[in-house]
Amino acid sequence: MSDSTAPRTTPENPPVASRGTRLQVPELISIGVFSALYFVMVCVATLVSTLFTGGFGSIFLPAIAALISGPVYMLSVARVGRFGGITVMGMVIGLFLFVSGHFILSFAASVVFPVAADLIARAGAYRGKAPLLVSYVVFSYGLTGPILPLWFMRDAYVASLEARGKDAAYIDGVFANINMGTFAASMTAILVCAAVGGLFGMRLMRKHLAKAGLA
Amino acid sequence: MPGTPGAAALDPRTKLVLLLLANLMLFLHAGAATQAIMTALFLLPLVAAGRRRMATRFAALYTVLAVAAMLDPESLGAPWLHVIPALAVGLGMMLPCLITGAYAVSTTTASAFVCAMRRMRVPESVVVPCVVVIRFFPTIAGDYRRIRETMALRGLVSGRFAALRHPMRMLEHVLVPLLMNAAFVAQDLSVAALTKGLGRSGVHTSRTTIRMRAVDWLFMLACAAPLALDTAGVIG
Repeated sequence: MSDSTAPRTTPENPPVASRGTRLQVPELISIGVFSALYFVMVCVATLVSTLFTGGFGSIFLPAIAALISGPVYMLSVARVGRFGGITVMGMVIGLFLFVSGHFILSFAASVVFPVAADLIARAGAYRGKAPLLVSYVVFSYGLTGPILPLWFMRDAYVASLEARGKDAAYIDGVFANINMGTFAASMTAILVCAAVGGLFGMRLMRKHLAKAGLA
Repeated sequence: MPGTPGAAALDPRTKLVLLLLANLMLFLHAGAATQAIMTALFLLPLVAAGRRRMATRFAALYTVLAVAAMLDPESLGAPWLHVIPALAVGLGMMLPCLITGAYAVSTTTASAFVCAMRRMRVPESVVVPCVVVIRFFPTIAGDYRRIRETMALRGLVSGRFAALRHPMRMLEHVLVPLLMNAAFVAQDLSVAALTKGLGRSGVHTSRTTIRMRAVDWLFMLACAAPLALDTAGVIG
């Protein structure tokens, strides 16, 4: 879109798993470009999630992000297609989340899950449909970091109630409806949304991007 | 990322330490007094960097949250109101992180960020994508505007609430051109970066220099002190 006047040739597919095992600069740049797109998707998801669920907005943030960023992930894997790509993408996302004021554990989550996702995708040589889908689902759990502070919030509110001299039974009553059920719902939502988003991503790849010679 | 690295600017590494301290405070359940002192301290560099309006807004928000956290729903006879003070306590805890984050993002230039990462021995395979992310954000914004213009011209998903009525179609129409362009831009950037020698091994020079100064160390200490005192139980 930036300068559409000059007709440009299709960028050729990067040869998969050649030239040693280290990521080369062109691949790193591709990872950067797709990480930026993914980060924008996360921001959109934050916005949507906050609109729907109010102040506890981030609880469904990973699920919504998983629903919409499937195409970004699929194209990124198709363009890089080498071990380390998904891992670095997760780390860069985690770093930007941390620097923009998210909880530091979000960085830990965005290293652990992407490494697992990378290993799964590698099992399918970054081409197999089923391994790619599973790897996308696992990758999506990397975004659970930003919702962890909700647990700290709960503890903090309990502490603030105790400081004001309320008894334990009263405090339990307050949190009767904020419990593991919410957590389980959030985790299940990620699973379902990531599966749908991943399939949507694959469909877009088939329908548009493969035709254009990008994937 | 506009920013004037001058006398008022802290080193990027100091900003990182401030972010860590803000996170640590969230971890440690610092008391209300400590939280207020730390928040005030974190607002100082924002003022020093000339972001007075941003600092004022954060201060006002923190005051509102502190007041809302004191609300006692029982005495008002409406237990469901617990949502408000619980939310206020939670957001009040997050706010120091958001303040330090806003400070780091709004006052650090891309080159200073890169310089700091290289000094901290972050591997090049993380530094390069980070630079690209910063460089690519404005491109995404520009692309998005042009795609929406084109869509309006063709009458696709136009109108005020169209995006809400057809979210998946909207996503497809926006995302496919964005992704196509991303693949092209990645190639263009690679060519440009390789021409400038990004692929060379060895130490890369930089026009931007960063340095830890006395004010950096002093400010780190000043921010660490209330947290340490809180953990020791002196203030709360």
